[in-house]
Amino acid sequence: MRVVAGIRFGARFSSCRPTRSSSSSAADPPRSGFAAAFDQQSELRREVQSSAAGPRVSSSVQDQSFASLLRRSPLVQMGPARDKLVVGRIVHVVGDDLYVDFGGKFHCVCRRPAAGGEKLQRGTRVRLRLQDLELTARFLGADTDTTLLEAQALLLGPVDGREVHHSQR
Amino acid sequence: MAARALTRGLLGLRHSRTVTLTYSGGHHYATATSVKSPQPQVDEYTDKILNQPLQKPDFFRVSELFSLKDLFDARVHLGHKKGCRHRLMEPYLYGCRLDHDIIDLDQTVEHLQLALNFTAHVAYRGGVILFVSRRRQFSHLVECTAKDCGEYAHTRYWQGGLLTNANIQYGSGVRLPDLIVFLSTLNNVFQQHVGIRDAAKMNIPTVGVVDSNCNPSLVTYPIPGNDDTPVTMELYCRLFKMTISRAKDKRRQMEILHGLSAPSTPSSCHE
Repeated sequence: MRVVAGIRFGARFSSCRPTRSSSSSAADPPRSGFAAAFDQQSELRREVQSSAAGPRVSSSVQDQSFASLLRRSPLVQMGPARDKLVVGRIVHVVGDDLYVDFGGKFHCVCRRPAAGGEKLQRGTRVRLRLQDLELTARFLGADTDTTLLEAQALLLGPVDGREVHHSQR
Repeated sequence: MAARALTRGLLGLRHSRTVTLTYSGGHHYATATSVKSPQPQVDEYTDKILNQPLQKPDFFRVSELFSLKDLFDARVHLGHKKGCRHRLMEPYLYGCRLDHDIIDLDQTVEHLQLALNFTAHVAYRGGVILFVSRRRQFSHLVECTAKDCGEYAHTRYWQGGLLTNANIQYGSGVRLPDLIVFLSTLNNVFQQHVGIRDAAKMNIPTVGVVDSNCNPSLVTYPIPGNDDTPVTMELYCRLFKMTISRAKDKRRQMEILHGLSAPSTPSSCHE
């Protein structure tokens, strides 16, 4: 039904996709071992040759399926959001509260730190340690979760000129 | 109030046509299909201007306005958490990654094309389009979008009888919207917006952006997609504005091309 593109990079298939199954091309029996590796490598080689020869820009934009875009997106590559370091941008300031957008579905709200807080204005890029991408909880007697429409993260500080080696994105 | 903007024109949609009552099985009712075009010289106008866009599947080329990559970059595929999922949204979901629902953008592209195409046709025929969203974060954006494309918006509290009791609340002969576009189908307490049910009652088609916690069943043209991120909302508003502007420009172009002018009554929805 849904062909999982990008088997080329071989590695981890993301877990829990219950409704879709990956199907290989037409009616080939599933190959394993050397045969699968050979197919993969020859396909890789063919693609390198074709991409070196032909125009790259148009084909790379149009041929990317949703599955491959999703697999390569930073949000999916990041994995669980707990304790991940990201860089966000302040989009709104209300007094002491900073609304930071880091590329997820929701923004997170952090309190302005006491030290060095004046530097943090709208448009400043800051480093965050994510806790949760969306704050939800199921309360007693409810059918669905109640969502706060916010993410939760700890503010580590502004992104300075010197690059911190373990920060992502 | 934005609600007052609904009153437009002296002749309501229902009163401007000659409606023939059909008698069937003991029930009197007036249907749109029984309305006959009264004058013969309208047929040439009808044929050239009104019927020609219906010949092609994508007359306004709305599929060129966006691509799957644009939707992906605007984070349309991000849904809520698994616990917030509505049962009826499951066909539109690609899957669930670490408890977060991912909306299938391949389906979204198809649905968005249908919705934009329909909006363009309504705007081409001079229909009244009403943008509704109860998200206070995007209220200003929606109102500006509506103003820029010359249509209407309602982003405030929805009074109960706004559509169903319009003749009494706003005087008789009110023209109701011909299309309602919901940029978020939920109200502030996460229940379905009353406007969806009321539009269905009044036979008004609806276009709605349904997130993974919304109920898509009563929406005529649902667009499964994110409705919480500012980038996404700006994308939708831009797409709707471009579609409506394109359709209206096309209408002016067709009228000039065929050398015909619009009929004298303000509502040009003659069939």
